[in-house]
Amino acid sequence: MAVWFDDEERTQVAAALDKEVPGAAALGAVDYVERLLTALDHDPPRVWAGPDGWIALGPWERQAWTERIDELRAVYRRVIDGAPAPDDRRVLHAHACEATYGDPAYGGNRASAGWQRIEFPEPLFPPARGKP
Amino acid sequence: MTDCDAIVVGSGPGGATVAEVLTAAGWSVVILEKGRNHLIDLAPPHKPLRHFANDEIAFGRRHLLGPDPTLEPRTYRRTADDGDRLLTGEVNNLPSTVGGGGVHADAKLPRFREEDFHLRSARGPVEGASVEDWPVQYADLEPHYAAVERSFGVAGEDGANPFAAWRSEPFPMPPGDDMPMALVSAAAAERAGLHPYRAPSGVNSVVYDGRPACVDCGFCGGYGCPIHAKGDPIAALQRALRTARCEIRPDAYVTQIVLDGSGRRASGVRYLDLTGYPDPPEVELRATQAVVLACGAFETPRLLLRNGLGGDLVGRYLTYHFQTFTVGIFPGPTGSERGRSVTHLHDDLMIDTPELRAAARAANLPWLRGGVVEHGAGTGPISEASSYPRGDAHLTSMADSALRRRLWAFTMQGEDLPQAPNRIDLDPSVRDAWGLPAGRVTYAPHRHELAASAYAVPLHEALMVDAGAQAAFSATSPPQDDIERHRASSPLGVAPASRHVMGTARMGTHPASSVVSPEQRLWDVDNVLVCDSSVFVTASGYNPTLTLAALAHRAAARLADTGV
Repeated sequence: MAVWFDDEERTQVAAALDKEVPGAAALGAVDYVERLLTALDHDPPRVWAGPDGWIALGPWERQAWTERIDELRAVYRRVIDGAPAPDDRRVLHAHACEATYGDPAYGGNRASAGWQRIEFPEPLFPPARGKP
Repeated sequence: MTDCDAIVVGSGPGGATVAEVLTAAGWSVVILEKGRNHLIDLAPPHKPLRHFANDEIAFGRRHLLGPDPTLEPRTYRRTADDGDRLLTGEVNNLPSTVGGGGVHADAKLPRFREEDFHLRSARGPVEGASVEDWPVQYADLEPHYAAVERSFGVAGEDGANPFAAWRSEPFPMPPGDDMPMALVSAAAAERAGLHPYRAPSGVNSVVYDGRPACVDCGFCGGYGCPIHAKGDPIAALQRALRTARCEIRPDAYVTQIVLDGSGRRASGVRYLDLTGYPDPPEVELRATQAVVLACGAFETPRLLLRNGLGGDLVGRYLTYHFQTFTVGIFPGPTGSERGRSVTHLHDDLMIDTPELRAAARAANLPWLRGGVVEHGAGTGPISEASSYPRGDAHLTSMADSALRRRLWAFTMQGEDLPQAPNRIDLDPSVRDAWGLPAGRVTYAPHRHELAASAYAVPLHEALMVDAGAQAAFSATSPPQDDIERHRASSPLGVAPASRHVMGTARMGTHPASSVVSPEQRLWDVDNVLVCDSSVFVTASGYNPTLTLAALAHRAAARLADTGV
């Protein structure tokens, strides 16, 4: 898996995500964020997990995701620097929710424990959940 | 293929239906689709692609079906008093992908009723609105309704809805399994004297047309179907492709309708080939017979406005369904993790009753029509989680799950009266990634919609309580109170959340009052047809897809001079 945060940064990001959804980090929320921030380092990019594996992006979609991920990297840089912008917490909240209750294919919701906690049934047609 | 008989712009239910009819008549057709292809193998035998999973992140958070608002922003304002815009981003984003809006819909496919096509004659005018009769009546359209029901595969229960219009043939399939909670809410509706029935749905209840029966996975509304039990519109696209007279070109963004020397006929189109980056090549494609616009009621007027075609009324009389959501919170699980999002409907608020007449009089309106009311639920856990506060309260709320596991809802798709100021136009400064002006919505409801919503709320809240809800509350989209509060917290946003976009190139019998003729041809360029919900004269209160597809079927059959 591509690495974006160092150990100290991982601890800081984990704490920030846990403030939004307690326990999110233990379910892999930092991995979820790190995979998103490095999604374009892979081919195909790890943006959409289809049933047969990651779905390729078109060139314009790649442009959109490059812009989006650049913005997200800046958000996490501010979080790590202890100087988040007012809207950054919305990003943290969204990512903590996605990591806790989204498909494990994206790095969070480890062993579907987030779903088990809320008694959400395993999907009948999950995306491919290969090794990172 | 550089030339063809007809170019179809847009591959959703309207465009797919046109392609099916024209290719069956021997025409060659090229479908140009702005979005990506996640639906269908373009090489024979045209099997479905395997891109769709039960995945809330890809569909709900990461724009798998497009459009990506970073590339294709849209803007919204309520009235001109709001300035150029209130927001920029996602506004009525129906999928931009092969299959269009059919891919994400949970495929409720009711027909309109006879009255819906002559509302002015049946009910009379309403001050401040442009309520007109359609130039096409139910009897004209009925055989085409039957044809598209067979094409898409519609499951329904014959005779179940006492208000339904007459049918020449039974539904192609029996209804699918009921969502258990829908039986509870339907029973409450019956106790109140209403007439709930199993929703006609373009979802296979049995093996049909080579596609499997739905297994009620629960990821229906908002998701592509992993097994293609939803036939709208993959079934029509497959049939068109299998004639070998149809080609689909995804990533093809039409920028220009090319006219011949007379200026009265289109010779083809120019489009950007978005597989090219960063300078997508412009390609010209010629059609010997016709150019058919089926881009949806947002993008069709946007294309016409950029080209200066269609006259002064293009984009005007935009309608949605004014949605009123009544939510019940129940003591235990409602079982909405499985099922097809909605399995039951009631139409009673579309009917002329003494109660609605009294409510109309009290609101100083000549009449009042609500809309079809959907019984259902299907919120995903990420969506639910996003609406709860942070910290320990978040865990408490998720465990309690009032807004997902214990939730059931009535959604009224309220009839929205056409008003000239409600429109799509070109934003004066916001542009898409290719430098073209973004589409802008200007929309505020007529007081008719507000009165119908106000009538529905206490009725449906009482039904929820009678069905066993501990609490019931209601909300509308778009919201009508403090917009800043909704901007900060509402999961539905401040723009209309309805994906039922209609009426922006209305059909009629005279160029002074309409954009297209009864054959759905532009009055000013007669071999350009519009085959989507842009042509609707009034919005009715029924889900629009089957009607837009039936109209597309009729227009294409006339174009190719074939029978039904």
